[in-house]
Amino acid sequence: MSTRRDFLKVSLLAGGGLLVGFRWTEAAEGAAAAGVPFRPNAWVRIEADGRVVLVVGKTEMGQGVRTALAKILAEELDVDLDRVEIEQASPGPEYTDLGTGGSSSSMDGWDPLRAAGASARALLVAAAAARWGVDASGCRTEPGRVLGPEGRAAAYGELAAEAAARTPPETPPLKPAAERRLIGRRVQRLDGPAIVTGRARYGLDVRLPGMRFAVVARPPRFGDRLAGFDSTGALAVDGVEDCFAIPGGIAVVARSTWAALAGRRALVADWRAGAGGDFASEAHARALREAVAEAGVTTRRDGAGRAALAGAARRLHAVYEYPFAAHGAIEPVAATARVESGRCEIWSPTQTPNAVQAFAARTLALPPDAVTVHVTLAGGGFGRRLGWDFDLEAVEVARRIDAPVQLVWSREDDLVHGYFQAASAHRLEAGLDASGRVVAWDHRKASTPHNARRRPSREQLADPQFLAGSSWGVNDQPYAFPAVETSYRVVEAPVPIGPWRSVFAPSSVFARESFLDEVALASGRDPLALRLELLGADDAGVPRIAEPGGARVDRLRLRRVLETAAERSEWSRPLPAGRARGLAADVFHTETYVAHVVEVAPRARRRPGEPPFTIERVVVAIDCGVVIDPDGVAQQAESGVYWSLSNVLGETSFARGRAREENFDAFRIATFADRPRAIETHLVPNDDERPHGLGEPVVNSFAPALANALARLTGQRPRRLPFDLAALG
Amino acid sequence: MAEVTLTVNGVRRAVGADPGTPLLWVLRDELGLTGTKYGCGEGYCGSCTVLEEGAPVRSCQVPLAQAAGKRYTTIEGLSNDGSHPAQRAWLEQNVSQCGFCQPGMILEAAALLARRANPTEEEIASALGDHLCRCGSYPRILSAVRLAARRAAAGGRP
Repeated sequence: MSTRRDFLKVSLLAGGGLLVGFRWTEAAEGAAAAGVPFRPNAWVRIEADGRVVLVVGKTEMGQGVRTALAKILAEELDVDLDRVEIEQASPGPEYTDLGTGGSSSSMDGWDPLRAAGASARALLVAAAAARWGVDASGCRTEPGRVLGPEGRAAAYGELAAEAAARTPPETPPLKPAAERRLIGRRVQRLDGPAIVTGRARYGLDVRLPGMRFAVVARPPRFGDRLAGFDSTGALAVDGVEDCFAIPGGIAVVARSTWAALAGRRALVADWRAGAGGDFASEAHARALREAVAEAGVTTRRDGAGRAALAGAARRLHAVYEYPFAAHGAIEPVAATARVESGRCEIWSPTQTPNAVQAFAARTLALPPDAVTVHVTLAGGGFGRRLGWDFDLEAVEVARRIDAPVQLVWSREDDLVHGYFQAASAHRLEAGLDASGRVVAWDHRKASTPHNARRRPSREQLADPQFLAGSSWGVNDQPYAFPAVETSYRVVEAPVPIGPWRSVFAPSSVFARESFLDEVALASGRDPLALRLELLGADDAGVPRIAEPGGARVDRLRLRRVLETAAERSEWSRPLPAGRARGLAADVFHTETYVAHVVEVAPRARRRPGEPPFTIERVVVAIDCGVVIDPDGVAQQAESGVYWSLSNVLGETSFARGRAREENFDAFRIATFADRPRAIETHLVPNDDERPHGLGEPVVNSFAPALANALARLTGQRPRRLPFDLAALG
Repeated sequence: MAEVTLTVNGVRRAVGADPGTPLLWVLRDELGLTGTKYGCGEGYCGSCTVLEEGAPVRSCQVPLAQAAGKRYTTIEGLSNDGSHPAQRAWLEQNVSQCGFCQPGMILEAAALLARRANPTEEEIASALGDHLCRCGSYPRILSAVRLAARRAAAGGRP
């Protein structure tokens, strides 16, 4: 076994394979510098039979992460992608920071996976050279094999044991970009064949011998407390075995999911009202509107800040509103657990396996290593599975029965009792000078800055830095205004708030990009020209790089996505009567640049529930650095449009302390009938050397681009999500 | 408890469950066929779609008693090896993101292709109109169904 203390550990596998351990994040550098022994937390195995197994600590939720990471490895290792098998990592001493969120997986995996692949390839080449008694420089690879002089060839698998005995190179040579076979090329998803044949296993698909199924009766309104329950009716249901209280509700355990659901319907529970039982989203929306009438805690001030408005020749302002929203992944949350003889096993489509392990161990008063977490595929994540509430419910039931149990949330549980994207209000005000130039920008946000059910402390709620962290799209806005002030006012709600696709950004970007459009219209400017000007197109005095609120913004790259979207959508060409376009752009904190142009027309024949407009065309321009797969980027771009469109059409609203939208008849997900006629994704060339995130950045600028198009088409500007479709018709 | 006999993917199965149990849960919990997905339980999302005598039905809306004597095809039985034109087209078009709703989509598409060899975009959108996908795979589904139709016309089976 040999170790490059800073990044690699090579050892021999039983059976003659090569095991390469490496570190997922740059944390290794710090550890090495601090004298801490190198400890891998990611692994590649090259088996003697030539199979390549990549142990991945990222959860596949549809973003294509397993395929993307396998491609990065396969490129540098030089193997065919179909030789790479993915093994899902479980938390343990080697895997202390698993977790999937923030659109960061490809970005974080890029360097370590390339280094690991290149090192393994160099070891295999060196092993072959030694075996043949030739110089390594006379050898090369083709996928899965080392080729030497005079027609010599050896498969990776047969070289693996010899490679494992060698010392990895200090700096393994990386493939020049021009020689890449996989990165930048379209491939088919590795999980595709299992999905289309029904073999893919999601959280709900875990099956264990002797398992039971359980559902939980939960408080019907916010704040309700359980005073007692009568399980006679439930226990009379065929297949129901047990009913008992657990933290958060009453568990009904049965031999099938259906029996558990029927048992829950037959259960009589006595709930006592507490605080929050009268919560209504309409009253909350009013409170948010009132809150932005005054400035809150300042999260950013440039120049004279808000005070600069006083000197403006002209002032414009508007208020935008944004609703609560559930995640609505088609797979409701569920987890399976077994607790026996001082050990616990959990099967979950979790985005945060280490937290599941830690909290399950705490719940059971077990050491963490007595808890094994198996991560399954997730039928959509969107941030919901960063919570571990359902995992702990499964543990609470499993500890009380002598069988493994699948804890199932019904669709209604999932839409009513999960956590939600926070509602918010935004008031924007711009000061213009006599020539129409924007000289002052004031953006006030009011919302509920909780995250994953953790209530912030009183100190945090007054801390500008904490509130800035809940202001993505507000305080990190990319435009070069001479004076900027952004602020946040906290409005409390009994609604559980947690991460949602793009987290704090969608509402802020909707407000910001809509208001910029209003400023353009009011000052007779072209919305594209105004944005380009604010990004320094004609002014060398505007710095190219800005670092607002800890984000990093390259204004040139943002200009390029705007220009590309404009060019591809023929922005400067007038449309026929009855058509209109809108434009919006955003840079997400993962340094991914996106612009949308949306073209709309009045809907000719309108069926009930249909919007009065059709989306004729969506042009998306994206600069995400290195493109791992152009089709993967297009897929995410399409996904972002539909996610945002659902947000335009629907919401979660509350009445008497409970969500009104309990199933998909009321919770609106965009469908075939809502489809844009065309969604075109255009990649913007860049000289970046890293890939950046996609899952979240693709969401934000669609809704404001659509609103801007509709404002031109109808003369009515949507300032609230979901849009008031009647007002637009 | 009465025993109900039905045929699933060509195999006769006797099921002892409450006759009111939806077929969805019979398939998933009794027969272990987890390719049929639970998404809403009320017939709104289409994830649980299976073929009943070749026609698409929402298995969450079919009580076991009604399934007696009928023949069903689930995603596991659409082909032996993933070779149905729709399955192949789905892979070629990279339709799936999370993939959870796709078994229902594919079965609905297979039924459409069996009755309409060359459906228009409107016919596809209408036949699959009540299926929900939170990842937004709709445009790729339209392309995949058209591709499958072309393949079938060129000699594959429907």
